[in-house]
Amino acid sequence: MISTASFDFVADLQRRETAMRCEPGKEYLVEARLLPLAREAGYEDVDAYVARLRVDAAARADAVDALTINETSWFRDLAPYQTFTDTMLPALLESRAHVRHLELWSAACSSGQEAYSLAMLLRENLPPGWTATIHATDVSRAMLTRVKAGRYSQVEMNRGMPATRLVRWFERAGSEWQVSEELRSMITTEQLNLAAPFPPMRRFDVVFLRNVLIYFDAQTKSDILRRVHHTVAPDGFLLLGTSEYALDAGPGWQREVSGKTWMHRPEGARPATPAAGAAGPAGVRGGAGSAPARPLATTVPATATASFSSTLGTVARAGTGATLPTSLTPQGA
Amino acid sequence: MTTTTDTPVDTVVRVEDVRALLDGVWESFLGAEEPLLTAALPAHLGGWTAAVSVTGTWRAQITIEVVDPLARLVTAHMLGRDEEPAVEDVRDALGELVNMVGGNIKSLHHGTAMLSLPWVGYGEDAPPPLLRETCRLDLTWRGLPLRVLVHVSASAAAADERRHSG
Amino acid sequence: MHALIIDDSTTMRSILRRIVTGLGYTTAEAGDGQQALDQMEAGPLPDLCLIDWNMPVMDGYTFVTRVRDREEWRDVTLMMVTTESEHNQIVRALAAGAHEYVIKPFTPDAIIEKLDLLGLVPQEATA
Repeated sequence: MISTASFDFVADLQRRETAMRCEPGKEYLVEARLLPLAREAGYEDVDAYVARLRVDAAARADAVDALTINETSWFRDLAPYQTFTDTMLPALLESRAHVRHLELWSAACSSGQEAYSLAMLLRENLPPGWTATIHATDVSRAMLTRVKAGRYSQVEMNRGMPATRLVRWFERAGSEWQVSEELRSMITTEQLNLAAPFPPMRRFDVVFLRNVLIYFDAQTKSDILRRVHHTVAPDGFLLLGTSEYALDAGPGWQREVSGKTWMHRPEGARPATPAAGAAGPAGVRGGAGSAPARPLATTVPATATASFSSTLGTVARAGTGATLPTSLTPQGA
Repeated sequence: MTTTTDTPVDTVVRVEDVRALLDGVWESFLGAEEPLLTAALPAHLGGWTAAVSVTGTWRAQITIEVVDPLARLVTAHMLGRDEEPAVEDVRDALGELVNMVGGNIKSLHHGTAMLSLPWVGYGEDAPPPLLRETCRLDLTWRGLPLRVLVHVSASAAAADERRHSG
Repeated sequence: MHALIIDDSTTMRSILRRIVTGLGYTTAEAGDGQQALDQMEAGPLPDLCLIDWNMPVMDGYTFVTRVRDREEWRDVTLMMVTTESEHNQIVRALAAGAHEYVIKPFTPDAIIEKLDLLGLVPQEATA
């Protein structure tokens, strides 16, 4: 097991480089992430490798990259993506009809599964003539290189990617799969440390900042949310992780619920859902198992209101006439 | 590059691709904590041999050789049990392992090909491949040796080399 | 919820069994497609079949086409779990009537996420 001194050095390195906390108790994780690098570099154990890190800046950068890699799934948690197609997209198709263009930000994009999941939903749901850009940022340059390449291992492809989308949007590339040029052309990348002041940025219609704030301390969280506020359009949307919905985002934000998902919105934004505001998820939508409502279905082009089950669901049953259950309503559990 | 109708599909199997696929199998079923390490191994390992063949627009044989203690360790891991696995369990687990590696190697090529059911033996060589070795990985896991071999059709490999060198 | 696990490898059946029983499923197992068809005739009908492709006697692709020929089995969800990983093989399986496709190797999370897409993760398992 990694020594306390080595662990403290690595934790401090990660905090300085990324502002992410790495607390005692995570020794096992650090060991698991660094051991392959250590072995690759010819060291017997992690302690010997950490000694090298103390004097080798390039190795330190690799170590930080390895420590910040998070396991990511396509369409992770499903519900936020359902909210995106069912609520945010219809509202934006109405409000952006004059420019027919959407700007999204996938913050802390890791290897890009979130950005490309959104690209697929946009390509499948945007009416003809509309365009969209997804800005993918991460503290790790290695991650951004991966996002740009759009190549994923077999094991990564298995994680939550519906088979129908796999065959539609990916091609084999050696031992990996590569996302189509059509989707890659929608993505821009930029190295960005959320914990430091942001460079000048565009205004985004939707910001996905999911499952990353949990790594920061309270003050840093609050600073990040204040900076993000400046980048969200006045009628735009911010989505946090499933375990972060309850978070008090601080001044300037209001919360709105759609389905199972809490959206954070700049104060004063006109609600995207009719019953938004005080009521909790159950009050708005009824209990679990009720069909997701599509409140703006009558006011947006029909192409944009295809139900989530048909767009995210896996496949039409071949010749059976049966309907797939929607992803959010477990049947006969 | 010229292409004729009797030219086989690209039969080059890149060692990096095989390694990546093997790592995927290993991390999924045997955990990521202990990586596979490159090692120098003796010519003859002794122990278990598991093989599958690919037939179709290209021909190949994928072989995994492991020493017995590693075979038993891998089997126990895959079955999620601590106790010593039975010989039949080892045979089945190695067969599934080479099936996964072989199936993934088959998909490296665009041609149409079939994967055989696995062959597993102890203390024997795999059915003699009338094929030429194109890729070899000598590795250890938890200090125990294993080898992965890919053989491709000799005529296909020769034709392919001509195309790549020309 | 009841799952029928169809794979000629007892090791693979054991791996899949542990994953779905963890979600609260009951399970039955078959070593090839014909055995699986026989079990479905005899009942009980599974909610889910996890299907290997390459098997002796009857392969998983043929099994899928046979199940899809039977109107009374239309509610059974079919998920391929196989090392066959060419683009065109996946297209073939989907066209024949498979609902989802997992490529071996996989982690338990991969199976669970695919079942979630199909609405086949019992609610109490996610709580």
